[in-house]
Amino acid sequence: MSKPYILLVEDNADDIDLTKRAFEKNHIANEVVVIRDGAAAREFLFGEESRHTPGMPALILLDLSLPKVGGLELLEAIRANDATRLLPTVILTSSKQEEDLIEGYRRGVNSYVRKPVDFNEFVEAVRQVGLYWLVLNEPPPAAGGGGM
Amino acid sequence: MADASALRPDLSLVLERITDGFFALDAQWRIAYINAQARRLLHAPQDCIGQHWLDVFPKARGRLFEREYHRAMRDQKPVQFVEYSVTAQLWLEVKAYPSVDGLSVYFRDVTSRVEAQRELESTTRRQQALIDFGRAALAGSTYDQTLADAIELLSEALDASVVDLYHYDRLTKGFSIVRSVGWGNGASLDRACPPIEHLATVIRTGEPFVCSDVRIDPRARTLARLESSGVLSFVATPIGTNNAPVGAIVAYSRQTRTFSIADVRFIQSLSQSIAEFASALESNRLMFEVLETIADAFVAVDRDLRITYVNGRMARFWDEIPARIIGLPLQAYTARLDSPEGRVLQYFKDALNERRALTFEYAWRDRWFEARLYPFGLGVAAYVRDITKRRFEQERVLELNAELERRVAERTTQLELANKELESFSYSVSHDLRAPLRAIDGFSAALIEDYGESLDARARGHLDRVRRAAQRMADLIDSLLRLAKVARTPITFAPVDLSTLAEAVAGELREHDPRRSVAVVVEPGLVAQGEPHLLQIVLANLLGNAWKFTRQLQRAQVYVGKNSEGEFYVRDNGAGFEMSYANKLFGAFARLHSSDEYEGTGIGLATVARIIHRHGGDIRAEGAVGEGATFYFTLPAHEP
Repeated sequence: MSKPYILLVEDNADDIDLTKRAFEKNHIANEVVVIRDGAAAREFLFGEESRHTPGMPALILLDLSLPKVGGLELLEAIRANDATRLLPTVILTSSKQEEDLIEGYRRGVNSYVRKPVDFNEFVEAVRQVGLYWLVLNEPPPAAGGGGM
Repeated sequence: MADASALRPDLSLVLERITDGFFALDAQWRIAYINAQARRLLHAPQDCIGQHWLDVFPKARGRLFEREYHRAMRDQKPVQFVEYSVTAQLWLEVKAYPSVDGLSVYFRDVTSRVEAQRELESTTRRQQALIDFGRAALAGSTYDQTLADAIELLSEALDASVVDLYHYDRLTKGFSIVRSVGWGNGASLDRACPPIEHLATVIRTGEPFVCSDVRIDPRARTLARLESSGVLSFVATPIGTNNAPVGAIVAYSRQTRTFSIADVRFIQSLSQSIAEFASALESNRLMFEVLETIADAFVAVDRDLRITYVNGRMARFWDEIPARIIGLPLQAYTARLDSPEGRVLQYFKDALNERRALTFEYAWRDRWFEARLYPFGLGVAAYVRDITKRRFEQERVLELNAELERRVAERTTQLELANKELESFSYSVSHDLRAPLRAIDGFSAALIEDYGESLDARARGHLDRVRRAAQRMADLIDSLLRLAKVARTPITFAPVDLSTLAEAVAGELREHDPRRSVAVVVEPGLVAQGEPHLLQIVLANLLGNAWKFTRQLQRAQVYVGKNSEGEFYVRDNGAGFEMSYANKLFGAFARLHSSDEYEGTGIGLATVARIIHRHGGDIRAEGAVGEGATFYFTLPAHEP
């Protein structure tokens, strides 16, 4: 089992850079694996390729507005799959539409964080998310019961 | 030779005792014997024995008495008869027994019997006459014929020489003769001598006037000329009531006579019948006139569905004239407009049998008709109306409604589509527009962090401004989203305690800005009907504004209350505004202060106004520069 990594599902290059920068600024050293669309993320998690990946991520950061397969759809797949059912998954998005919040929680997201426009606030948000889910929170037993 | 002396004394005794009158005549018609009763009844003089009977009773000459006695002697057979004796002034029943020697005559007074019988006959005859008259009137006889019948009947039944029937004109109070019998040769009493005063009297009193002898009646002094016309007595009765008199009947007699109560009653009954007939005729005439005047076609049928009446309009429908239609079976006319066969006729039968009014519509010759059937005692009355126009309009209305519904549906679809677009737009705004802003802000920050040392203060200032602008735009986007959300949120009315809500909002403001000291006074017990979440936004905005615009003051004061007109208000003693701009306050992006002075998006009051309007309330603002502002708003006290 390699070092826990963070899976960032995000298509916006700016947001990817800013998120990575926020991790750096907060000295979160975990590797960040970036997937740019929902279909690729599904392939990464459940496809043939997944056997060659270094196991499941410690945390999934999920944007909602994604090409091909949307964030909410991906979330549903994550929660439906034994291998990923228990993975800590946080929606990190620009939207604070009520519908998105409801649908997110309905599909079993662990946390819903809205990206602030102000970069300082954004850095702070990322810091807290990372701190909480990677340090403070006790993760579910390894491999999420999927028998990896 | 029958002679008094020839009679045996015992026989004479018998004849004197019997109650019958008796006299005997000899072969030469001389009175041979006469008993006391006969003398008394016939007023016979003492010395009548031996005299010719006609010399003693001259009034019998030429009358039935003489004829019968001669017949008895000629045939030598007894005779029997009843006759009025002028001599005795009595009705006598006479039995005469002839012999070769002469005639024995027995008689008795039967006046009361005869009179009773005559009275009975007269009454019967009159009653029959009245019945016949009524029957004739009912049978649809004309008014003129009815009057002619009436006076003919009177003349006959009363044995009156002349009967006149007058019409009374209530307007002129004048009389005109309508009918007359008995004068012959076209002569008419009214021209000779109209007894107008007496007619006026009967009209006024409604009572009959009886004059049995015009020569001696003191009331008849103006009627002297009646006598010269040969009239000696008369009876006059009104026709109709004294409230509504229509005329008078006068029966004249050339003899003096006492009109009996029965006579007067008879005339009155007949007058009554005439009045009723006239009244019925008048009603009928009115009814027919109405039926001719109404816009509906009208037909009445009897219980055998034969036509008893049609008005002109109905006849024209059928290309007929009314007179040719009466009496024909209704089927002759319904058959040609029936489709399916018998339908219209069946409606008539149903109305008749079920005794209920029916309405139905049918088409004929490219037009639509509505028939309303009303059953009554004698058949069915039907009113028919051309409803082509109405049906056309109804159809048009239906078409228009359908068109309207179609358009509404179309518009609704469009609106739903627009709403969906708006929602997806809102989504884009909230999601996609924020991402670039975050990049602008983030990379500006990165620039300062990574290259800050090589940038001078001026360049860093520019970058700060870039970041502030991005932040401000993000705030604007959020405000717009809130405004859009207010428009979409369905309102569920519930009682909302505005006082508690205002206190809570004030608490949050204090917490958020602890350095400020603002005296917030909230009137307790302010309750309104509304959506709690939206009303919270209202108070947050209004109190937030009050908080903001009192920033310069040492002693900032904010009041939340309700005035006597039932308006809620939020008042502050802050910067205020120019009243001439009051109407601009509630528009989106409307600002009365520069953002340097007071920050804000200019969307808050627009949101407040929209919420109030969506609750069915109203909002207005009062203020003056430097003297504070008051925002008044109304909310329904009860669920609308």
